[in-house]
Amino acid sequence: MKVFFPKKEAFGWTLTEAAADGAIPSDYSYAVVPPKKLIFPQEEIFFEFQQTADEGLQLRETLPELPPQVIVGVRPCDGRAVAALDQVFSGSFEDPYYWRRRRATILVGLACNTPPSNNCFCSSLEGSPSSEEGLDVLLTDLGDRYYVRGLTEKGKELIRAQSSLFSDPTEEEKKLRNKISQEGAQKIKRHLEAARELPPKLKTMFDSPFWEEAALSCIRCGICTYLCPTCHCFDINDETRALAPLKGRRVRTWDTCQFPDFTMHSSGHNPRPNKAARLRQRLLHKFLYFVELYDRFQCVGCGRCLDLCPVGIDIIEVLSKARNHGA
Amino acid sequence: MAEEFEPKIMAFICKWCTSAGADLAGVSRLEYPSNVIPIQVMCSGSVSPLYVFSALSQGADGVLVSGCHPGDCHYMKGNYYARRRLALVKKLLEYIGLEPERFQMSWVSATEGVKFTQIIKDLVKELQPLGPQTKLRRN
Amino acid sequence: MVSEDKLREEVKKLLQEGKIKYFIGYENGGPGWLARPAFIQQPEAVSRLIWSPGCVHNLTRFLQDEKRRRAREKNPDLRPVGLIVKGCDSRAINVLLQEKYIERKDVYLIGVSCELLGVVDEAKITRRLYPAKPLQVRFGAKETILVLTDQGEREIAASEVLADRCLECPANFPLVADIVLGEKINRPNPQPYQSIASFEAKSLEERWAFWQEQFSRCLRCYACRSVCPMCYCDECVADSIVYAVSADTTAEEKAQKVKWVERNPEPQENIFYHLVRAIHLAGRCVDCGECERVCPVGLPLRLLNKKLEKEAKALFGYEVGLDANSPPLISCFRDNDPQDFIR
Repeated sequence: MKVFFPKKEAFGWTLTEAAADGAIPSDYSYAVVPPKKLIFPQEEIFFEFQQTADEGLQLRETLPELPPQVIVGVRPCDGRAVAALDQVFSGSFEDPYYWRRRRATILVGLACNTPPSNNCFCSSLEGSPSSEEGLDVLLTDLGDRYYVRGLTEKGKELIRAQSSLFSDPTEEEKKLRNKISQEGAQKIKRHLEAARELPPKLKTMFDSPFWEEAALSCIRCGICTYLCPTCHCFDINDETRALAPLKGRRVRTWDTCQFPDFTMHSSGHNPRPNKAARLRQRLLHKFLYFVELYDRFQCVGCGRCLDLCPVGIDIIEVLSKARNHGA
Repeated sequence: MAEEFEPKIMAFICKWCTSAGADLAGVSRLEYPSNVIPIQVMCSGSVSPLYVFSALSQGADGVLVSGCHPGDCHYMKGNYYARRRLALVKKLLEYIGLEPERFQMSWVSATEGVKFTQIIKDLVKELQPLGPQTKLRRN
Repeated sequence: MVSEDKLREEVKKLLQEGKIKYFIGYENGGPGWLARPAFIQQPEAVSRLIWSPGCVHNLTRFLQDEKRRRAREKNPDLRPVGLIVKGCDSRAINVLLQEKYIERKDVYLIGVSCELLGVVDEAKITRRLYPAKPLQVRFGAKETILVLTDQGEREIAASEVLADRCLECPANFPLVADIVLGEKINRPNPQPYQSIASFEAKSLEERWAFWQEQFSRCLRCYACRSVCPMCYCDECVADSIVYAVSADTTAEEKAQKVKWVERNPEPQENIFYHLVRAIHLAGRCVDCGECERVCPVGLPLRLLNKKLEKEAKALFGYEVGLDANSPPLISCFRDNDPQDFIR
């Protein structure tokens, strides 16, 4: 079993493979690279191929075989993000690479007593600092101990396996937990008002010049999408190591709609030829198309894209302006 | 008996001087180790740092760039540009922790067949104890 | 002290007189953002402009967008773009002029002097003030920074929170500008390469272990490249995210494109990309520090680029961005360039 635990680095927190030796530090905010990296990794090898003299081209499948992995310190927004990814990778085709990792993963969440970021806005998007969706266990920090809720069978089994470490909660503890959950929600500073008004409004704005203005300072890097806990676009490439005999492997990697050639056709035509079109795509995907497909937002309000955008593009501000555009 | 490690050396050799010098070594039946894979380029000045990085990425244990002596370049100035550019490449590779022996430059003229063989022999001797280059080699 | 009012006045005049197409400056950002780039098109909007120690961005980066816009338009507006340049940014302008990427008449530069200060490092300020969260910064009197936090105002010594590059900056005054705001005060600069000195002293294997660990974190988001004013190639030779293909590109040309780096983020691929970028910036990087600031996983990119800046000076006597008329580093040479490393 592998355990991933919050670790403080110079640039922020990460979920690193390590023994959990004590409580999650009280100054833990959120992991810069979200837990999606451990379930939908940035590199997934699909198969290896090798040309042999007698048997022709041989393919060797490389489905991930991994031990159970427990990720500790998953914020509720990231838990909801994993639930959103679950929907994407199931349906008429269940992605075997995703699901092997997903089934081997146990998500131990940590409720937010205070917002991990100045820019958290989960409560505007049908989430909350104590949301349980997508998680297997939810911890709430009561100060000197954790209030633990086993949510799924996997989560309950984890607790049962070490039952001597746990005791039944007292009424006091239950009250304290509820109080902390409520206060956590009240401490959120930023709000995206009337989010459910966005999908129909955005639907009318495809050709609007609004996006030009909003995207003026975008430098078309991949930060917003790579660090987003719900973004899942990918690229597949064959990496050839040798030509004669042919040897190589097929690899899936993260990709981003913010790179100009994401929609480049081999003819040279690009239906999203500028930053305005690409910013529009990102926001419409999260706040319109995903809602139409799955009846939920593809944004969980974690605030990473806001915190880490090199030029300070503020998704809450852009969407608020969009909602009021032309009104 | 333990098999001695044989380093693979990519050598980017300029057509007009070093390549001719290497040919002279061949014609004179001078022996030198077969570890070197020569790639002829028109001028040492045409060697992009990308070639050096790519050779190392694809598993070369050592990279040699060799051209005409300063003042003798067939294209007048190519080797001066190479000297400047590849000096920076050398400093950069050493800075990130690659053994300095793995990337080297030389001036070999068309008449220096002996020098060419000596350089290859020295290079192999220097690279053997270092073992295979794994730092920059891709998986 | 640089007067914000004077800045706004100047820009308003330029816009009213139609001397510039638009102005690129800084404005207040959202919560947790000290400042961010602002594009001002209307004279009334100049009230958004600020000048504070949070103005870290190198606005010359947006000249790439302007150039691409002009290339796309049939009858482009050829008036200059106005922008604010700090000392470091002005050296970037010099490099772009050197390489003929832009012409002097394409830009109207309002230079600002950092005087004895500079811009802040957000991570330093956050650590210094924890648990209070910084919201806005202003220049204080006597080399201090005034910080508005979510727990009230604080005043701290600038030296504690200035960006490392500011502490090593050799040119805290714009070298090229149409007008300059603020006084030219030379900062004493005894050790310009302090950041890399201790690193160079490490052993080969220690250096490798360090870089190997660093590059295993790289996500190849290309923020470092995207934010760099000097990385203006339409198609990057190392893993392009913009292929320069058109309807006229032949199949042969497409088939012959060399893939130098794979998309996967294995450390060796990441190192390849960063090495190529570092070498392509030799003699061009002005140490504006943006690449390191924007990296979401904290890669110490200044440590890499600064090394080549130091070698350019030590080996070839070359200093970056001082003179728009001198040739770029690798398009010139001296007869006595060092060759002790050549057999």
